[in-house]
Amino acid sequence: MTRRRAAFGVFRHVVLSAWTLIVLFPVAWMVLTSFKDAGDWVSWPTRWFPFLDFEPTLLNYRQIFYIGGTTASGELRREASEQAYAIWKGVVDSGVIVTIASLASLVLGAALAYAISRFRTGGRNYPYTILTVRMLPPIVIAIPMLIYYTSLPEFFRAVFNVRVAFFDTYHGLILLYIVTTLPYVIWMMLAFIDAVPRELEHAARLMGATRLTTLRVVVFPLVASGMAVTLLFVFILNWSEFLLALTLTQPNVLTLPVLLNKFQSAVEGRLYGPQAAIGTVVTLPVVVFGLLIQKHLVKGFSFGMIRR
Amino acid sequence: MPKGTERRLGRWLERESVFRLVPLVPVQGLILALLAVPFVLTLYISLLRWRLTRGFWTAAPFGGLSNFADALGDEALLNSIVRTFVFAGTAVALEVLIGFGLALLTYRSFRGRRVYLTIFLVPMMIIPVVIGYNFSMLLIDTGPLNSVLGLLSGQDIRIRWLSEYRAAQVAVVLADVWQWTPLTFLILVSGLTGLPPDPVRAAQVMGATRWQVFRYVQLPLLKPVIVIALVVRTMEALKIFDLPMLLTQGGPGNATETLSIFLWRNAWVFNKVSYAAAASLLVLVLFSAVIFASIWLLRRERAALEADGPRRRAEWSRR
Repeated sequence: MTRRRAAFGVFRHVVLSAWTLIVLFPVAWMVLTSFKDAGDWVSWPTRWFPFLDFEPTLLNYRQIFYIGGTTASGELRREASEQAYAIWKGVVDSGVIVTIASLASLVLGAALAYAISRFRTGGRNYPYTILTVRMLPPIVIAIPMLIYYTSLPEFFRAVFNVRVAFFDTYHGLILLYIVTTLPYVIWMMLAFIDAVPRELEHAARLMGATRLTTLRVVVFPLVASGMAVTLLFVFILNWSEFLLALTLTQPNVLTLPVLLNKFQSAVEGRLYGPQAAIGTVVTLPVVVFGLLIQKHLVKGFSFGMIRR
Repeated sequence: MPKGTERRLGRWLERESVFRLVPLVPVQGLILALLAVPFVLTLYISLLRWRLTRGFWTAAPFGGLSNFADALGDEALLNSIVRTFVFAGTAVALEVLIGFGLALLTYRSFRGRRVYLTIFLVPMMIIPVVIGYNFSMLLIDTGPLNSVLGLLSGQDIRIRWLSEYRAAQVAVVLADVWQWTPLTFLILVSGLTGLPPDPVRAAQVMGATRWQVFRYVQLPLLKPVIVIALVVRTMEALKIFDLPMLLTQGGPGNATETLSIFLWRNAWVFNKVSYAAAASLLVLVLFSAVIFASIWLLRRERAALEADGPRRRAEWSRR
């Protein structure tokens, strides 16, 4: 028995390590490339080890953050690198849009999920109906959305006599991101709220707490970790959204995926090094956020499909 | 705030109807304001004969149903639909299978579990555009992937991943599997850790083997979670756009031209906006079949849960 168990332990580690290698291989390659100079990006035989195979350099990072040129003496060296990589613009725009959209979506969705869970708002089928919003491929609405956003200002000017733009603005994209992520927020929060026993709320109400206090003191602490998990998931979805941003922004608003895509297509000859450096930089914050709430992630991702 | 207003607000907040209906208003309002109008616009545009090169859409001539007729007879559209379903089917099947296998190995606690969990979740946190960069770097003819494959097989391997028809298709599916297996893994691990311990223990006490416990206790309890993993991933995989766009631009030829890319090309490359609108409406009809199927599945699973849960719990506690 014990021997079988030990054998199983070994088997488990072998399989899991194999998958670990598969997962880490592309990531490691990206990080490696971000420290390589132009000549080492593509080479045969492959250069694997820093210091042994190639001399690591910070050039790519200096280039994307545009710190003092790209050579030790401070001059620009690579031709294509003469244009600054205005990555900060992308980071700021993406940061603002994604944070606001995710938070707003979380608040709206959580409130509705509470209503659905406790009062069956919208009827039994409502959660399923709302999933259809998510199933709509963005490409289907992208073009009419573009027309809609560019003609809305005229409508506002004619009816309310105010000037508002939607195309190529923060709020235009934020509104759309809220709508497209709401289905997931509602589904995930529904699971967390359903798991909170009603008896707790009844007890608080009997003791004279108002509905709002009950929500704040009883329900919120119990679903807080679930809200963090939901927020992370929605954040990831918005942070990587590409198609809608590509259609509905530029030149004023520039989210990261759109900005990154430019480097992919704009330059003749691929700039693997700077691309890898950017990739490393924009991936880090999400991974760190994920690490922080990892414990809750594992607990709360079954969409309420398990009942105790 | 004056005292009276505050009291009135307090009383208002005590009404059940406020909590029942107020949250619905902004959500429904947003959905209607943002999605309803563009949808009607799509309908209208699909009836026009409008190309981006021919001025503003309001001036475009009316074309009736000709776009729909064209779309129905378009082999490229049909091919891209088939391709999308094959891609999504393969990718989702692999993702759920691998995710399930990994979840079964990791859901109980053991030394090193946290490290594995942490690493396994990384790919889904990377922006698809970055994954596109990264895989196009890995997949060069003289790139690291061929290099590793060469080392493993002892031969000189030069698969032209992104410029050969089949290889490009495989590459796109593999990239999708790499990125999204973490999500199915996460959903399934979460489900497995959340399983009620009593039934499993009871089965063990009654002398069930490990396989029997898995097959007759855990698997049935886990079925709804598997369904949600399938539905969530299928929903997203059918929309696949970023990866093929970044890796191959739908090529070589049209090897990786998925539906989203087909529509994108027609609208922005060939400027056939009306045609793209008509095609996307047809696609929507097709998708709604998938949507209804998955909703039906989800509802069945949830209904079973709601009806079954308390009864089964009562039974277990009686024993």
